[in-house]
Amino acid sequence: MNAENLAKAKELLHRFPKKSSALIPMLHLVEDEFGYIPEAEVQVVADLMGVTPAYVEGVLTFYTLFHRQPTGKYLIQVCRGLSCQLNGADELSRFLYDELGVQRNGTTPDGLFTVEEVECIALCKDAPAVQINLDFYPNMTKEQLRSFLDKAAKEVRSGA
Amino acid sequence: MPEKRLLFKNIDVPGIDGIEIYEQHGGYQSLRKAVLDMTPDAVLQEVMTSNLRGRGGAGFPTGRKWSFLPKDGRTRYLVCNGDESEPGTCKDQEIIYRIPHLLIEGVLTSAYAIGAEDAFIYLRGEFKTGYRILERAIAEARAKGYVGDNVLGSGRRVEITLYLGAGAYICGEETALLESLEGKRGNPRLKPPFPATAGLYSMPTVVNNVETLSAIVPILQMGGAEYAKLGTERSAGTKLFSVSGNVRRPGNYEVELGKVTLRELLYDIAGGPPEGHEFKAAIPGGSSVPFLTPEKFDTPLDYESLQAAGTMLGSGGVIVLDERACIVGSTLRLMEFYRHESCGKCTPCREGTMWLNQVLQRIESGEGRPGDLETLADLCSNIDGQTFCPLGDAAIGALASGLRLFHDEYEAHITKGGCPLGEVVR
Repeated sequence: MNAENLAKAKELLHRFPKKSSALIPMLHLVEDEFGYIPEAEVQVVADLMGVTPAYVEGVLTFYTLFHRQPTGKYLIQVCRGLSCQLNGADELSRFLYDELGVQRNGTTPDGLFTVEEVECIALCKDAPAVQINLDFYPNMTKEQLRSFLDKAAKEVRSGA
Repeated sequence: MPEKRLLFKNIDVPGIDGIEIYEQHGGYQSLRKAVLDMTPDAVLQEVMTSNLRGRGGAGFPTGRKWSFLPKDGRTRYLVCNGDESEPGTCKDQEIIYRIPHLLIEGVLTSAYAIGAEDAFIYLRGEFKTGYRILERAIAEARAKGYVGDNVLGSGRRVEITLYLGAGAYICGEETALLESLEGKRGNPRLKPPFPATAGLYSMPTVVNNVETLSAIVPILQMGGAEYAKLGTERSAGTKLFSVSGNVRRPGNYEVELGKVTLRELLYDIAGGPPEGHEFKAAIPGGSSVPFLTPEKFDTPLDYESLQAAGTMLGSGGVIVLDERACIVGSTLRLMEFYRHESCGKCTPCREGTMWLNQVLQRIESGEGRPGDLETLADLCSNIDGQTFCPLGDAAIGALASGLRLFHDEYEAHITKGGCPLGEVVR
């Protein structure tokens, strides 16, 4: 972890009535910084928490938002809940796979995009819904996805 | 009967997510009334009188749940369940993102009533933006003296701590949520002991859904007796229904329980099926409950009527399918969800959802064999009531009813070697 997150991690140890609660927020810090949970950071977190790395692994593998492999700069999560599926979610995933040349859970070679199909993200009334990093995209269309991909790729090329 | 808005009364007011506008519309008056004019027991009594039932899915009477806390002087905790993950349900999301102060006020008032100095709001990991919104709302409430060591100068301390989950449906089950909040894997706990006696950090704890705690605000505003007059005798008050799927105006709608039928909700309020199509079935209470077919759409939306019709009110997540949707494909999609979300702790759920998934997959892809439908029914009966927590029963809710109501459609997939509707849902 970088110095800022390490300080935040240490602060977490005292935020809750019991220290054990700090583990999941700490893993979020790591995930947010690296885009996944690197092996070396498991040891860092274990040391801070005073538990074994195996215990940390046990917890983090329970939760789908913690990744074991690096993810792209943009993590595109297509909701495959039934309501989204009834409204064309599969077409959105297929479009992304074709457009980016990746498979499910795959990342483009330039490290820019990762595409996941995820379980219900609680935007059923706005189906089909997509989450990209922190942001929710309601009533998503292929056209909107295309313009997002173009804009993101352009920004990166121009060094933004 | 149209919508009846208590929780959503001011949701369309511009700036209602900020404390100033929220206060201008009567915000924090319930908290003031509770903390300044009422004893905690008097607040509990109002909630008892209101007949409010838990809005997360189980429908347990809220006042009774609160009254189970032992009076033994131990530290008590209030935990708000904001893990909203039941497919078809998106009501808590709208409360958190659009009227965060309603939830904060409900949490503070409830914490006061049950004598908890520390309240926790557990949000599903995807609600990171919601976390920031609530963080800001809590800071605003603190500046006004509603949160902190001395709430409204009463000498009472109430602190709210936010917690972000990390992607696990099972953490909506209250004991799994408590495990997760303690920083562990979200495996459900053996009950008893119930959270009221041994909850968070083994202390007496109340766990309530976002919508339940938000409802405390109008209950104190109007009084429990007035609230109880809304809805029916056993299903009091208003409830949010999330309508989604094949429908013209999907959305969250607040109605009086028992005063609106499923048909009225779907047609009059949500605009009916997409043009040129007709409804085939609906799941009225989130993906975990049995299907209703259109001949039962005149069922009033309350706990008792829906149960009598063979399904459940659950979370109020109404997923509606039109004639283009394949029931086999839809139940397969739901089974993939439950297989993915089974925590793996107990065998009937872990293995059962896997086998149901495989057999359904085979039928859906046109490779079903004679006897497969019996296998599915047999697997369902081996899960029904046999699992450690309610996830097992939830997993078979739609499928078991689908097999009864749409038996021919499953049969046709096997005899015709694929979906008779062509490629639809999947």
